[in-house]
Amino acid sequence: MADSTSTCSLVVIILDTNPAWWGRQSNHGNPKLSLSKCVDSLMTFANSHLMMNHLNKIAFIAAHSNFSHFMYPKRQQREVTDIDTNIGEINDGKYELFDRMNNQIKDEIKSLVLKNMEVEFENDSLIAGALSMALCYIHRMEKEKPIGVKMTSRVLVVKASEDNPAQYMNLMNTVFTAQKQNVVIDACILDNDSGLLQQACDITGGVYLKIPQPQGMLQYLLWVYLPDPSTREQLTLPARVQVDYRAACFCHRNLIDIGYVCSVCLSIFCSFSPICSTCQTTFKIIAPPKLTKKKSKKPTT
Amino acid sequence: MANSLFSTRTLDCKDLHVYLKTLPSHILDRLYNHPATCLAVFRELPEIGKHYVMRLLFVEQPVSQAVIGLWINNRHINEHHICTRALSDLRIWYEQPLPGGMQGWILNSTFKTNMKTALLGGGEPWTGRGAVPLPSDKNSKDVEFLDKYAVERWECVLHFMVGSNEGKDGISGDTIEVLKHSGLMKLEEGEPMPFITPGGFQFLLMDTPSQIWFFMLQYLDMVDSRGLDLVECLSFLFQLSFSTLGKDYSTESMSEGQQRFLQHLREFGLVYQRKRKEKRYYPTRLAINLASGLSSITSDSNRKGFIVVETNYRIYAYTDSPLNIALLALFSEMLYRFPNMAVANLTRDSVRAALIRGITAEQIISFLRTRAHQEMAKEGPALPPTIIDQIRLWELERDRFKFNDGVLYSQFLSQGDFEKLRDYAKDLGVLVWDNNQKRVMVVSRAGHDTVKKYWKQLKQSGNS
Repeated sequence: MADSTSTCSLVVIILDTNPAWWGRQSNHGNPKLSLSKCVDSLMTFANSHLMMNHLNKIAFIAAHSNFSHFMYPKRQQREVTDIDTNIGEINDGKYELFDRMNNQIKDEIKSLVLKNMEVEFENDSLIAGALSMALCYIHRMEKEKPIGVKMTSRVLVVKASEDNPAQYMNLMNTVFTAQKQNVVIDACILDNDSGLLQQACDITGGVYLKIPQPQGMLQYLLWVYLPDPSTREQLTLPARVQVDYRAACFCHRNLIDIGYVCSVCLSIFCSFSPICSTCQTTFKIIAPPKLTKKKSKKPTT
Repeated sequence: MANSLFSTRTLDCKDLHVYLKTLPSHILDRLYNHPATCLAVFRELPEIGKHYVMRLLFVEQPVSQAVIGLWINNRHINEHHICTRALSDLRIWYEQPLPGGMQGWILNSTFKTNMKTALLGGGEPWTGRGAVPLPSDKNSKDVEFLDKYAVERWECVLHFMVGSNEGKDGISGDTIEVLKHSGLMKLEEGEPMPFITPGGFQFLLMDTPSQIWFFMLQYLDMVDSRGLDLVECLSFLFQLSFSTLGKDYSTESMSEGQQRFLQHLREFGLVYQRKRKEKRYYPTRLAINLASGLSSITSDSNRKGFIVVETNYRIYAYTDSPLNIALLALFSEMLYRFPNMAVANLTRDSVRAALIRGITAEQIISFLRTRAHQEMAKEGPALPPTIIDQIRLWELERDRFKFNDGVLYSQFLSQGDFEKLRDYAKDLGVLVWDNNQKRVMVVSRAGHDTVKKYWKQLKQSGNS
């Protein structure tokens, strides 16, 4: 009875629903993992997380190619009507709460897929946007939690599509916010290695894993991502990957190894420019031979 | 020594696992036939154990023990042993030899199937939500009503225990039987009504979920004598705790025994049913919080705190409930009483009076803490640390004496005699205390006979 505080854990799942990537997957003829299978695995994972403790919470966000969409939980009024419409549907041995959540997520994904048919698809998803949505939600839950309950929060990003260096700034900002809020970011990579998420996981102390066999996604989720950060210390988990710490330049959004850094605001550029585009500092150039000394030339690795 | 003297009187509130371990194994196996029970048991496992189960859930063949041992860091090997023991004790997994001659673990197949059912669907529907959906209830009840109803019903039982007039009606013989069986109340000869025991007072100081859990355990103890099936009742109880607040469930597919059990639950306020014959029931928060009462979580989310404790040992209780005031008066000195609040003082005498009754300091502290006013709970520790320390000190004060039975030897004629006997007793390990100057010594009762015999021999040999 010594500690009267109970702990709960909130997991925000961000699923990359990039239509281009998933579409290409299913067109391969022998798809390693279809979207519906992936969503099924994720929902089983969500159910398992809720099963661990009755105070545990889950949230589900879809990161689409041109917007992010909050799928679960929905606003209160919607939930009540959902109960009413779903009453007759439950006729097997599934736990009600799980069933309701899974149905809701399925419906949302269905409408998401059907809604955006005509738009031109990008190859990347708005992970940064979804992440900041997740952080906002975590912040809100942190404020609304009942007194005496300790909450640990983490974000699980399930990503398949390519990285977009254009998101570098936004993503890094959200990652540092997460670090400040003690939110752990985990990344579960289905296809393309993501340098940005590697950095995100490394900074916040999360797990980054590129799944070797996407068919067995559920087992990876249960083994690696289900334990809380505090429990992870006790378990043997895959070793940390080598982190790709390249930064994207602010001018062309390219990932660079060596570049120019503004001495005032620390903005990164791939080529030299006399005026910093971020803070408008002018770098005085006295004579061409001294050019190399005046400009601050620092490797950023 | 001193500890065992006092601890025998504190109320023993088992948690779910301790309770389940007391059940015979065939009952355990039958219990796992229902997804709700599996969920409840799973939630109470040690953290690592939960992950073990999850990792094995989708594995069909036995997994070598050595492999499972590698899942955990060497530094935490102790947790691993605790877990494996807990899982075996509850028959969640058992040993099975692998082809190579190594020992492996395999999950209990009933448990595994039902966990999967709870997680993924399929299988039989839970009772109360059959294939035929209920028509919507014209007398449907909202959450607020259910909360009020549940608290009212439960307080009825508590009122009855303290003997206040409010609880006279609405308490059936069954409830009284349970209270008597659990030792919370006792019936003296020649008295029509039972009265509360020290254990009962400790019960009153617990938080509501623990109270209900304790009460239900006692009830389940007696379930066989009522002709109800323990497994049926337990799985129904767990199912209730996993249902949705404010939703109605049908009694259609329930068995005869479960129907009777439902009527009892209705009396304690765990479910709401408008009429006895009504075909639907609503689980209340008491039933749903049952799952949280299983572990040591002490949040009383359904009730607002009302107690403010100041560092000057004053207690302000913003309540008009005679029950709460009576509880407060168990360990404090009442000063003033107003229509909506009461003021009391914590004093050494009042706390000691409670301690003498068998109430422990921890119980007092947790009572104050769980019922702390919201404004108090907002910042840092809900109670002033000085108060907590002082209450604990007052308890320790009582543990200062150690009682040992013994026999006093005195009036030795010579120092030599005294020393001989003392050394003899010391060698035997039966000497409790001695004083060289006054030539007195105390020998424990067990050693008295041998020491006496030795002394007689000594005297005889001295005389002869």
